[in-house]
Amino acid sequence: MPTLKMILNGQEVTIDVEPGDLLANVLRDKLGLIGTKISCGEGECGACTVLVDGRAVDSCIYPALKAQGREVITIEGLGQDNRLDAIQQAFVDRTAPQCGYCIPGMVISAKALLDENPHPTRKEIKEGISGNLCRCTGYYQIIGAIELACERLAERGGPE
Amino acid sequence: MSNKVVGESVPKIDAATKVRGQRKFPQDFNMEGQLYAKVVWSEYPHARVLKIDISPAEALPGVVAVLTSKDVPVNEYGINIMDQPMLVGEGKKVRWLGDRIAIVIAESEKIAQEACQRVRVEYEPLPVVSDPREAMKPDAPLIHEERGDSNILKHIKIRKGDIEKGFAKADVVIESYYFTPHVEHAYMQPEAGVGYIDEQGRVTVIAAAQWSHDDLHQISHMLDLPLDGVREIVPAIGGAFGGREDMYIQHLLALCAYCVRRPVKMVFDREESIRNTGKRHPYYMKYRTGATRDGKLTAVEIELISDAGAYASTSVAVLSNSASFAAGPYIVPNAKVDAYTVYTNNAVTMAMRGFGSTQPPVAYETQMNKLAEALGMDPVELRMKNLLEDGSIALTGNPMPKGVGIKETLRQAALASGWREEGGHWIKPDLGTPSAPYRRRGIGVACGYKNVGYSFGFDDKTGAVVELAFDESGEIVRALVKVGASEVGEGSHTALAQIAAEALGIDYAKVRVALVDTSVVPDAGSSSASRHVYISGNAVMRACQEALHKREAALRDETGEKHVVGKYEYHGRSVRPTTPYDPETGMCDPHISYGYAAQIALVEVDVETGETEVLEVWAAQDVGKAINPGMVKGQAGGGVHMGLGYALTEEFIQKEGLVKTRRFSEYHIPTTADMPHELETIIVEVPDPTGPFGAKGVGEMTTLPTAPAILSAIHDAVGVWIDNLPATAEKVWRAMQSKS
Repeated sequence: MPTLKMILNGQEVTIDVEPGDLLANVLRDKLGLIGTKISCGEGECGACTVLVDGRAVDSCIYPALKAQGREVITIEGLGQDNRLDAIQQAFVDRTAPQCGYCIPGMVISAKALLDENPHPTRKEIKEGISGNLCRCTGYYQIIGAIELACERLAERGGPE
Repeated sequence: MSNKVVGESVPKIDAATKVRGQRKFPQDFNMEGQLYAKVVWSEYPHARVLKIDISPAEALPGVVAVLTSKDVPVNEYGINIMDQPMLVGEGKKVRWLGDRIAIVIAESEKIAQEACQRVRVEYEPLPVVSDPREAMKPDAPLIHEERGDSNILKHIKIRKGDIEKGFAKADVVIESYYFTPHVEHAYMQPEAGVGYIDEQGRVTVIAAAQWSHDDLHQISHMLDLPLDGVREIVPAIGGAFGGREDMYIQHLLALCAYCVRRPVKMVFDREESIRNTGKRHPYYMKYRTGATRDGKLTAVEIELISDAGAYASTSVAVLSNSASFAAGPYIVPNAKVDAYTVYTNNAVTMAMRGFGSTQPPVAYETQMNKLAEALGMDPVELRMKNLLEDGSIALTGNPMPKGVGIKETLRQAALASGWREEGGHWIKPDLGTPSAPYRRRGIGVACGYKNVGYSFGFDDKTGAVVELAFDESGEIVRALVKVGASEVGEGSHTALAQIAAEALGIDYAKVRVALVDTSVVPDAGSSSASRHVYISGNAVMRACQEALHKREAALRDETGEKHVVGKYEYHGRSVRPTTPYDPETGMCDPHISYGYAAQIALVEVDVETGETEVLEVWAAQDVGKAINPGMVKGQAGGGVHMGLGYALTEEFIQKEGLVKTRRFSEYHIPTTADMPHELETIIVEVPDPTGPFGAKGVGEMTTLPTAPAILSAIHDAVGVWIDNLPATAEKVWRAMQSKS
């Protein structure tokens, strides 16, 4: 069985995987990181979004072994101890989560966007999360939360 | 009473754990020594099962059990009528693709999947009935031979006044035929869960459910166990929208645990979820509407035919709602309604946001917009002449109870979008210049209304328990609310916590809401009918008051008691008992309370492609009292999302009972790119004196007007009426071609 080595949420992880294993299944089933959700299983909905070397990917169709030697960040890697990351806090403050199943993927997509473009327009925000489906919210409060996070990050002078 | 918690957009009670990814959904539960189960689904929409051979599956190493109908103690279930088999055995019929032949339980999911492929089933295909209009005919093949000689599950009649006289008084009569399709709930969390035997020997299920206590009744019947021999635990639910009111996995998990006495996990993938679970009912709607020259409605004649699919589910209740709302929120003196729901071999149809009140607005509001055009009258003005008020006589002959807010709701939506009222007339706004020369702008308006709480004599009740803990000085330090209300994402637990905090006069942060576990919380009915704030809110408020009464007594006694418990069972009939339809006239007092919505849509249509882009929606809803305005806005956003999908992109397609839209790449729910650029939410608060703090319901009403408002805006832009949803680019383009 091949061995996968990656930096997961800042820590080096080594784990045996099957060649066909997908990253989402490895994270959830082998590493117990349940924050990464599986919904469509075909890379259409973004619920399984994680960062690989800073880029948002659909982990439900991403071969686990492709993460070899790379840095992977999941929703569990955001914030510290009891403190929420600025994006997470803004989601809470703008009543963005409803059922919450899409939310970890949304937060990660928002992080990918803001890490690259700290001052996105509304249109850029909508594009940034256009690969993430939500059935509950109509996206407005999620977009509002990302705008709020941008403002707060700008006041602080950059990401934490 | 201070009013500092109710009416505030406090953070949702579970928001922090959800943004961290810590909140556990059914697929996130794993138990020591668990097995995995997979289902052998029917391959035919209508066939007799001749032979089932499970031996090749049983022979596969790692397979623990292959369950068939022989393993089910009582092989039937169903939320209203027990017409569904758990598993279909030899000699019996499959009636849609979602029927099940067997369940394989194995050491891993992969093995279970492989074993499913090895189960050999011989079928004798039977004629497929895929159109309810055909299924109604006397010579149509029967879906349920044992249930009489017709596929018609229910016919509801309403006869009000005299429609001949009504149409004779009409100066204008509009007649049209409308169709709305099957719609997939498309909640983001597919069905999943774990079944096991708990420490007290109870068959226990962890799954997403909208009404866990009703599931218990069905599961205990199926397993022939006493009610206290079964238990359901409801963790975070990843959306529901009606789709989890029936059981689609709970009973399977229960059967697995019952048979193998070990924990069994089952997770549907998206294709299984779409193929094998219930949908919104498609409706075929024939409308004839008459009005005088000055815009007063005189008569309506309506025929509704709904496709119930293979099993009854709540189709009769959904149809009952549709019939009562068929004329819209208008005063109509003369009416004739014939509503039918009919068995077919299509997907089972069931509750979905609006519960039968979502399809008729597509017809009744388009009728109003066509009438306005025929009369040369502004569509807002036409509505204002006919809308219901307190005490108005509704379609079913009952006076409307206090709190009818539809006029105010429409007025606020119209004003926000730029409509003007001048000298008693309403004037449409100027729409500005389209963004390109090949695009046309249009604006459209629609209303909708719906019941809050259960209807037609079905008693609506919620039990609530509130436990208070006090410090030495008698201050409340903690309140725990126990109520069996499933939190499906809409925020019921947050709203109920706010109501409790307000009733107790304490900080919201001191209130906890217990996890829904049927062994702990009382039955609160389903998370449906936009009812938890109204019915369960009343129950929680009264349980809090009960606990406070006890506190005073306890403190006076100086017993040193630190805890008190308040209990209350609130009944909707204490407001006003509702009544079923009179079988001949349809006259009744159908609903306890109502919520109202009005929306206006501004669109641009590309005349070269027929594509519609929704620029802005103004969404006004009368919620009585917004317990949490942030959550009301969230419901409006979600309602418009679902309404826009209904209008433009969503259709669950079956051909001869086979599914053509199998996954999200084939079934399109709107993305950020499809949504209106702007949504202006207008919260209207016309109090319902019987609701907690005046509150009504919210969740469903927000989706009712969206589709007809968009259809009307498309007509305003390019002059074509689309009466057949969804209004895809192709349909709009073809309509424009045939017009020119």
